[in-house]
Amino acid sequence: MSCSDAVSAVALLLADSRFPAGGYAHSLGLEQAVSDGLGADGVAPFIAARLRLVARADAALSVAARRAAAAGDDGELTLLDGEHAARCPSPVLRTIARRLGAQLLRSAATAWPCATIDRYRALSATTPRPVALGVVGAAAGLDEVEVATIALYDDAATVASAALKLLGLDPAAAARWVADLAPEIDAVARALVCDKRPIAEQPPPAAAGLELAAAVHAARMERFFAS
Amino acid sequence: MRAERALRVGIGGPVGSGKSSLIAALCGELRGEHRIGVVTNDIYTTEDARFLHSTGALPAERIVAVQTGCCPHTAIRDDITINLEAVEQLERDAGPLDLVLVESGGDNLTAVFSPALADVQIFVIDVAGGDDIPRKGGPGIARADLLVINKTDLAPFVGSDVALMLSDAAARRGTLPVLAVSLRTPPRAHAVAAWIAAQLDAFVTAEGHLHSSVGGGSDHDHGHAHTH
Repeated sequence: MSCSDAVSAVALLLADSRFPAGGYAHSLGLEQAVSDGLGADGVAPFIAARLRLVARADAALSVAARRAAAAGDDGELTLLDGEHAARCPSPVLRTIARRLGAQLLRSAATAWPCATIDRYRALSATTPRPVALGVVGAAAGLDEVEVATIALYDDAATVASAALKLLGLDPAAAARWVADLAPEIDAVARALVCDKRPIAEQPPPAAAGLELAAAVHAARMERFFAS
Repeated sequence: MRAERALRVGIGGPVGSGKSSLIAALCGELRGEHRIGVVTNDIYTTEDARFLHSTGALPAERIVAVQTGCCPHTAIRDDITINLEAVEQLERDAGPLDLVLVESGGDNLTAVFSPALADVQIFVIDVAGGDDIPRKGGPGIARADLLVINKTDLAPFVGSDVALMLSDAAARRGTLPVLAVSLRTPPRAHAVAAWIAAQLDAFVTAEGHLHSSVGGGSDHDHGHAHTH
């Protein structure tokens, strides 16, 4: 590894689940999947499917938002808010994304006080998390690959962590799921950054199963997780 | 006169110590004079929020339940963003409010509220949990702005010594206040409600600045809200 591509401590801070952004309250669909019969051996494929579909699409939005925020392009950020809503037909998941985005921005505004975050918080009526993450990445001085990697890693790690609370598991085995996926996370992150097409030209994922399950989960009386 | 936002009172303590019942009683005592909202941090169900609905303590739009992903202590101390969002949304949707009670999920003796979430906090224990709890201490017992020892009516039946609990608590807490109450027998939650009303007056007078005993270093003890 050369000096220039050393991993940054700021990227680690933002990826750390101890950074206060509310992710611990979410299973990203795993709780409902487990209720519907998914067992321990189904979690790694669940994480991989998210990586290839919704996590990838969210990370693409984060990269685009990082670009727009670094350029001070408010119009593009507003457009990206809309692109997120258009790609997320489930009102439950849209609301969740907005809350998680607001929570991230709230803590990031204290951790990296700057006009970039303040402007987006004032500008955006919805602050979906993928766009918020890109804005925070720009404010914290992360590059596009770091933003994409954090987006993808956070998705995988959130599901793996939730699995420990939903299924009786060896925590180290859950860490291995993410470790096994790490090369693919890195590859997807680099591919996203190299894809220079506008977001509007990148096809959204069809994740109807997750969308439908989210509505069932939200209506449940008994649940550990907010999603 | 009112502050720019509602006073936020954290109410924590172990499972079953009577946090939800205390909140229902407090709403009954305080809702005539003050506009109140409640945020519940439920562990597994929406039980606490539904209980409050069922008592008629508050209209449904004044009660918000948040899920904490099995981490009730995280949600009130280490990562409070979920609760801050919930409190602010409650104030936006049902406000203006004078007082927001944030009920923690029942947790262990180490859980306290971050001062960035709760302006002041009440820790609730009960005689049936064992009269050695004040002696065991912990941050909630030692530093909460108010310690409530609940269910004193049960003391003879569970072999607990309320006087011992009060003296152990005083040894732990210095001048910080302790109230022994029974929600089943008059005057029920009246003394706790009076304490909250005094905090609210101080909060409004100080234009939204209270100094909780839990914030920063415990360099001094005091049982009252004051300005700096």
